[in-house]
Amino acid sequence: MAERQQRQKCVLPWTYRNEEYSDGGSLPQGRKKSWSSFRGNFGKRNPRYEHGGYKPQPSHFQEDYRNVRMRDVQADVQTRHAPYTTDHKRRVKLHNEGCIQITVWRNKKFLKGKVGENAQDGTLGSWFKIKVPDGMKYDKTWLMNSIQRHCSVPFTPVDFHYVKNWAQFFVQDASAASALKDISYKICDEENKKIPIFVSTSAVPYSVRDKLEPKEMEQLKLTMTKRYDPSQKALDLQSLRYDPDLVGLDIDIILNRRNCMAATLQIIKKNFPELLSLNLRNNKLHQLDGLSDLIQIAPTVKILNLSRNELKSACELDKMKGLKLEELWLEENPFCGTFPDQSTYISAIKKCFPKLLCLDGQALPPPTTVDIDKPYLTKPCEESYKRCEALKSLVMQFLQEYYFIYDSGNRQGLLGAYHDEACFSLTVLFNPTDQAPSSLFEYFKDNRNMKNLKDPFLRVQLLKHTKRDIVGSLCVLPKTQHDLLSFVVDMWFQTERMLCFSVNGVFKEVDGNSQGSVRAFSRTFIATPASCSGIFIVNDELFVRDITPRKTQSAFSIQVPAPISSSGPNLSQQQQEMVQAFSTESGMSLH
Amino acid sequence: MRPFRRDWFQGDRGMHQGRSDRFHEEPQTSHTCGGSRTRENVVTPPLTAQAASSSPMAMAVDFKTYVDQACRAAEEFVNIYYDTMDKRRRALPRLYLDKATLIWNGNVVTGLDALANFFDVLPSSEFQVNMLDCQPVHEQATQAQTTVLVVTSGTVKFDGNKQHFFNQNFLLTAQSTPNNTVWKIASDCFRFQDWASS
Repeated sequence: MAERQQRQKCVLPWTYRNEEYSDGGSLPQGRKKSWSSFRGNFGKRNPRYEHGGYKPQPSHFQEDYRNVRMRDVQADVQTRHAPYTTDHKRRVKLHNEGCIQITVWRNKKFLKGKVGENAQDGTLGSWFKIKVPDGMKYDKTWLMNSIQRHCSVPFTPVDFHYVKNWAQFFVQDASAASALKDISYKICDEENKKIPIFVSTSAVPYSVRDKLEPKEMEQLKLTMTKRYDPSQKALDLQSLRYDPDLVGLDIDIILNRRNCMAATLQIIKKNFPELLSLNLRNNKLHQLDGLSDLIQIAPTVKILNLSRNELKSACELDKMKGLKLEELWLEENPFCGTFPDQSTYISAIKKCFPKLLCLDGQALPPPTTVDIDKPYLTKPCEESYKRCEALKSLVMQFLQEYYFIYDSGNRQGLLGAYHDEACFSLTVLFNPTDQAPSSLFEYFKDNRNMKNLKDPFLRVQLLKHTKRDIVGSLCVLPKTQHDLLSFVVDMWFQTERMLCFSVNGVFKEVDGNSQGSVRAFSRTFIATPASCSGIFIVNDELFVRDITPRKTQSAFSIQVPAPISSSGPNLSQQQQEMVQAFSTESGMSLH
Repeated sequence: MRPFRRDWFQGDRGMHQGRSDRFHEEPQTSHTCGGSRTRENVVTPPLTAQAASSSPMAMAVDFKTYVDQACRAAEEFVNIYYDTMDKRRRALPRLYLDKATLIWNGNVVTGLDALANFFDVLPSSEFQVNMLDCQPVHEQATQAQTTVLVVTSGTVKFDGNKQHFFNQNFLLTAQSTPNNTVWKIASDCFRFQDWASS
C-alpha cells in the first residue's frame, strides 16, 4: 500500500503543493514529508486517519456515505484528471467502516467544485494561477504592491501562498491574467534582477470554491464574538473546530483550510479590526499562508498564540513577519524540537520578530546592542576631505588651548577667545530624586534651564552677553579638570563665517565643596573666524550633569595635557589620540 | 509616562500664553498671543524693524528683543519637534530646510529625502526633554540671517532599545514673511550621552 501511494505521488498532475491542500488538518500526529507533498484533492490517503483520534460524528458519516456513492458516478467523468480514481475510491470504501469521515467529506466539496466548473458557473469561472519563482525571498507586501503597481489592470489576489520557494496566488479575471503575464521580467528587485511571473490556468482556488455559506458565516461570527474579550481586545480561537456551538450545527471550521481561515479573517476584519491578541492554539495549523493576511487586516495584533499546532519550520513564521509582535507562543509545534538549544531557538524567532518581548510565556532578555546605529554610517565626502582635516585640526587646537586655560585656575585668559558680543549660558540638570543636596549647587545660580525657568526677565539676565560678563561668570565656577580623551566632538555646521561644534565629555572638580565629583558636560560653541586664523566664540552653551562617581572611575582616565606651546612627546601623542577620537566620532556638514 | 508628558507640554503652553502680558513696557514689539502655531511649522509674529542705533540703551533693548524672540521660538519649536517625532514621525522632515543636515551620533544625513528615509527607518521614540536652552546667534556669524541656537537634553527610549540620555542641538533659521516668521531647522546634532549608563 505504501509503495503504491509513493508512485502516485509522482504522477498526479495537481500543482498545488501547499501543505494546506494536502492536509485535512485535523489529526494530531505529524507525518513525514512524503505525505504532505502528496498531491490531490482526493483528500487524505494519509494512514494517520486510520489512527482515529477524532470524535465520531454519526450524522456526517451517514451523509458522506451517501456521497460516496454519488461520487462513484461522477468519478467516471473525472477520469482524465485523476488516473488513480478507481484505486482511491476503493481505498476510501474500505475505510468507510472506520471513522474516516473527513476524507469523504472533502471529496464531496471537491466534486461540488468540479461540477460547478464544468457547468461554467459565473462564480466558479476561469481562474488563473500566478507564480513568482523564488517569491519567498521577497517581502510579501512589497511583492504584491510592486505587482499591483506595475500591472495595468487592477486585480484582487486570492489565496496567496508559497510552494517550496515560489509565491503563488490566483486571479479570476482573464484580462488581469494577461496583464500580469505582460509584466513578467519587468519588475526589478533590490538586486536589480528582473522578476519573472508565470501565468497559467487553474482550478478554482479553495477559499473560493469552499466558501462558507452565509448562515455558516453568521454562526461563525456569533461564535467568535462569544470568544472575544473586548476589554483586552483578545480573540480566543483555541480549538475552534471543537467549539460546541459549531459542532452542534455541523459547521466544520478547520482553520488549516484556506476557506475557513479566510472566513475567520474576514470576520475579524469586519468586527474586530483593532485586535490586539489572537489565540490560535490547538488548531492543527500546518502552514500560515492563510494567516499572513492578518498583517493587512489587523496590523494591531501584538500577542499571538500559535502553540500546539503543526508548524514544521520557522519559515512559516516568516510569513507573519509584518506583525509587530510583542508576545508569541510557539511551544508544542514540531519545529520547536529542531533547534539544538533554547538560545538558537530564541534568536531564530527574534530574527522574525525583533521587537518580541515574551516568547512562550518567558520574558526575553533585552537586546544587547543598539541596533539603530548600524545602517546609517555614511562615507565621508572625499572632495572636501582636506578642508575638513584643516578645520578639524583647527577645532582640536582651539579646544586644547581653551581647556588648558579653563583648567588652569585663572580663566581670565579666556577673554581672548570670545567675541566682544558673545553669549554664554549655563544649564544644569537638577535631579529631584537625588537624596543628598545636589553637589551642583554652585552652578545653580546661573542655571538657565528654560524648562524650569519661565520668568522672561531672568531668562534675559542669565544669558551672559559681553565677553567680560562671560569670563566673569566663568571665573566664578568651580575649578575643573577636563578629561580630554573623553571628548567626543561633533562639527555640525559650517559656513565661511560660522563654525558650530559640540563637545561632549567629562570633567572632575578639583577643589572646593564638591571635590572629586565627576560631571558630564555638553558644550556647544558657535565660532566665527578671527583675523589671525583663529576663531572667536560668539555663542557658548554649557550643560552640566552630575554622574554618579562609582560609575565613572573608568571614564576618567587621563591627566590634563601639557600646554600646546610645549613640544614634548607627551603632547604629540595626546594630539594623535585626539585625532583618532575626532575622526571616528565627528560628522560634518559642508556648504 | 505618555499622558504625563502630554499634560506637561500643555502646561508649558499655558505658561507661554501667560507670558505675553509682561511685555507692555516695550511699545516697539507687538506681542499678539505667543505666536500662531500651525501643525508642523514654528511661526512667531514678525520682528518689527529695529532702528539702527548706537546708544547702549537701544542696543540693550534690541538684544533683549532678540533673546525674547529666540526664547519664544525655541520653546514652541521644541514642543512641536518632539511631539512630531514621537507621534507624527512622517511629518518631521517638514521642519527641516531643504539642505538641512542631521548629525545623528556621528552619522551624517543630508537633504530632505535622506532625512525622510532616516526618520522612517528610525524606530518609534519616546522623548522626555528635561533641559532646554537657547541663544540668539550673533549676526556676524550668520550674516544677518536670524538664527537661534537651541540646546536640549533629556532621555529617549527607542522601540526595542534601552533608554538613553541624549543631547541635541539645533540651529533654527527664520524665514520672515510680512505676516509671520517661519522657523526651520538648518542643522541638527543629536548624540546619546551615556556617561552614567547603568
